[in-house]
Amino acid sequence: MPLVCLSSPEGIEALCSDLGVDYTDVRILMLAWKLKAEKQGYFTQDEWQTGLKALGVDSLTKLKKALPELEKEVEEPSNYEDFYIYAFQYCLTEEKQKSVDIESICELLNLVLGVQFRPQVDSLVEYLKVQNDYKVINADQWINFLRFCKEISFPDLENYDATQAWPLILDNFVEWMREKQS
Amino acid sequence: MSNQKKRNFQIEAFKHRVVVDPKYAEKTWKILEHAIHEIYNHNASGLSFEELYRNAYNMVLHKFGEKLYSGLVTTMTAHLKEISKSIEAAQGDLFLEELNRKWNDHNKALQMIRDILMYMDRTYIPNSRKTPVYELGLNLWRDNIIHSGKIQSRLLSTLLELVHRERTGEVIDRGLMRNTIKMLMDLGSSVYQDDFEKPFLEVSAEFYKVESQKFIECCDCGDYLKKAEIRLNEEIERIAHYLDVKSEAKITNVVEKEMIANHMTRLVHMENSGLVNMLLDDKYEDLGRMYNLFKRVPNGLSMIRDVMTSHLRETGKQLVTDAESSKDPVEFVQRLLDERDKYDKIICQAFSNAKTFQNALNSSFEYFINLNSRSPEFISLFVDDKLRKGLKGVSEEDVEIILDKVMMLFRYLQEKDVFEKYYKQHLAKRLLSGKTVSDDAERSLIVKLKTECGYQFTSKLEGMFTDMKTSQDTMQGFYANHPELAEGPTLVVQVLTTGSWPTQPTITCNLPTEMAALCEKFRSHYLGTHTGRRLSWQTNMGTADIKATFGKGQKHELNVSTYQMCVLMLFNNADRLSYKEIEQATEIPASDLKRCLQSMACVKGKNVLRKEPMSKDIGTDDAFFVNDKFTSKFYKVKIGTVVAQKESEPEKLETRQRVEEDRKPQIEAAIVRIMKSRRVLDHNNVIAEVTKQLQSRFLANPTEIKKRIESLIEREFLERDSDDRKLYRYLA
Repeated sequence: MPLVCLSSPEGIEALCSDLGVDYTDVRILMLAWKLKAEKQGYFTQDEWQTGLKALGVDSLTKLKKALPELEKEVEEPSNYEDFYIYAFQYCLTEEKQKSVDIESICELLNLVLGVQFRPQVDSLVEYLKVQNDYKVINADQWINFLRFCKEISFPDLENYDATQAWPLILDNFVEWMREKQS
Repeated sequence: MSNQKKRNFQIEAFKHRVVVDPKYAEKTWKILEHAIHEIYNHNASGLSFEELYRNAYNMVLHKFGEKLYSGLVTTMTAHLKEISKSIEAAQGDLFLEELNRKWNDHNKALQMIRDILMYMDRTYIPNSRKTPVYELGLNLWRDNIIHSGKIQSRLLSTLLELVHRERTGEVIDRGLMRNTIKMLMDLGSSVYQDDFEKPFLEVSAEFYKVESQKFIECCDCGDYLKKAEIRLNEEIERIAHYLDVKSEAKITNVVEKEMIANHMTRLVHMENSGLVNMLLDDKYEDLGRMYNLFKRVPNGLSMIRDVMTSHLRETGKQLVTDAESSKDPVEFVQRLLDERDKYDKIICQAFSNAKTFQNALNSSFEYFINLNSRSPEFISLFVDDKLRKGLKGVSEEDVEIILDKVMMLFRYLQEKDVFEKYYKQHLAKRLLSGKTVSDDAERSLIVKLKTECGYQFTSKLEGMFTDMKTSQDTMQGFYANHPELAEGPTLVVQVLTTGSWPTQPTITCNLPTEMAALCEKFRSHYLGTHTGRRLSWQTNMGTADIKATFGKGQKHELNVSTYQMCVLMLFNNADRLSYKEIEQATEIPASDLKRCLQSMACVKGKNVLRKEPMSKDIGTDDAFFVNDKFTSKFYKVKIGTVVAQKESEPEKLETRQRVEEDRKPQIEAAIVRIMKSRRVLDHNNVIAEVTKQLQSRFLANPTEIKKRIESLIEREFLERDSDDRKLYRYLA
């Protein structure tokens, strides 16, 4: 097992450069998910060891090679939602923190949903930045962003029903989109 | 002992003489035939009933029933043919008379013949399934007279002609008509219907079609309805006098259809005289007539109701959105009450108090009263006005009536919690300034509100009354304990329990020294008996009575607010004071101070102060003096009131905001209550149930409910179901 000093963000940065992956790359987040890392920017020894075992790797080179497979694993429908939720929780750095600020959410959306739902993410991010009803996003709203992307036809928004149980922020987003379109 | 022969008696059947005479039947028949002739010729008196009966009996007995029957038919038919000719020959009006006379003759003859042939009627006829004698007689009459070519159509046209003449105002022989119609009815209901009733209904329909068209062109709605009513009653009377009672429903249907149903829409919407005009002019009689007539036709009443409802909604909408009437809240509410009284009376007097109309009235009021978001405030101001002065001198029953009417309007409000807020504010002002005209009236209204909305609505209001009473007792206790203060200024303190009274910002000012000392004494007295409580003086709500002597010696007693008192007392130690000096000395907040100075320096009749410069507004560089030239014809002068007024725009916004804030916990409590009992519930049902639960206080906004649900999710009272996003789950 490679002895990597990972109990610091610098350690992880070093790991990233070794893997040839940018620190902000989504694959690091995927790795964190696989490792079930609890704290953002840190991998504990336990997490590291258990995770590598789960990946079936024992060296950095093998780890690098395992990354594309990891991506595929995350993208499997049964894992994807789990990963998505994990991504949010990973950002809850303070104890008892329940929401994430808008800036970070926008970045996270780009990172996590950007590839699969580019148009939705672009509009949503634009909206989040101009609205001022909400300064933070909570877990409930976060999970509904994903559902929105998966269920609602875009950009026509035909099947969106504001009288249903969608969070209010999405009702407002849809209204904003419709006004823009008209 | 006699030797008598025993004779056995044997009873033998009575044996008729067996008739072998072949001509027997013919001979007997001739007797009977002759008798029939005689009967028809009005010569029956010479006949022996017993003999004829016996002859007929014998014929039947000897199996000659067939001959007897067919003979009867032939003979009777022959006579009827004769009769038919004589009827046909009758001229003009005599036609019906002749017909009737002959009919009576025939009936009499028929009865006699039936009696004679009774045995045949009872034996031969049933056995051979032939028509009994009486019925036979009727059928023959029908076939030979009524349905005879020359009589049938003439009869019908004569009858219809008579009806038409009566309809156009002539007097006809009703007895004759009655008898003729009765004849037709006796001949069988199908005869009556086919030979008279059907054509009668057709002709009547045509008649009324023409007449209604004529009327509708030249009459206004009220007159038309009068005419229709008259015609309807005429037809009913006609039935009673000479037609079959079963025809009543049919002919009234015809009139209803032709005169009412076909012209309903045009009548209701007739310009200058239609339903709306009748409503506006309180035409109870016309409206009642319309109601009674339209009740008879399908959709008649619902048409009236719909037109009334849309008119009422339109009028009401104009009433509440009219900018002019919004300027005077009391006037605004009074107009609503008047409108309600008006329609109540109409429904009672003209629409027989029908429930559906009452409901239409209520739903209309509910609709437009809530179009103006200030309605709750205005109703409270109306009540305030009444309780301050409007009800002065009014009897107890009348007070109840007025309050009940106000409650009716209250029930229509969707935002009852807004009313509550204003009512509390206004009540507080009334209580504190002692301006209520009747304590009983106040309490009576609270009881009505409690009955309507439950204990929670009124518990705080009742708390306010309790505070007032308790304060009185406290004051008594204070002065009892401090007899030395009896000489100085009289202090009256009302101690208000914070939760019960409308929230006020606590800003105090600097009281004049005498007052400050007195207030301190009270505070220690109070806290002595009520440890653990905190008192804060509400100097913005108090009043004071000051005795003042002006330049020329005029003495007046001034009734002022506490702020005004603070300002005035300063002038005991200075002749001239600048705005800034006053502000510094009293520490009254700027806007209040300006208002207070303005009311004492710039209002004619209340200008106890003089200001330099003499401008209308208060400037921060102004200087103030006592107005030595102040005059008033009253000894007691009231300056500055704490009267409830229509709120200014910013105040209105603030109240509205507070109401919205208060609603949030109520919505959340409702959501939690519902979810706790249901455990799992879908979004739409949550919205529906919450709205229903809060209905008695305000109309909950679905968006607001959604916000609260999300807040509860965030605080982990609820969660969304992981599979079905539409479901919520209660988290214990």
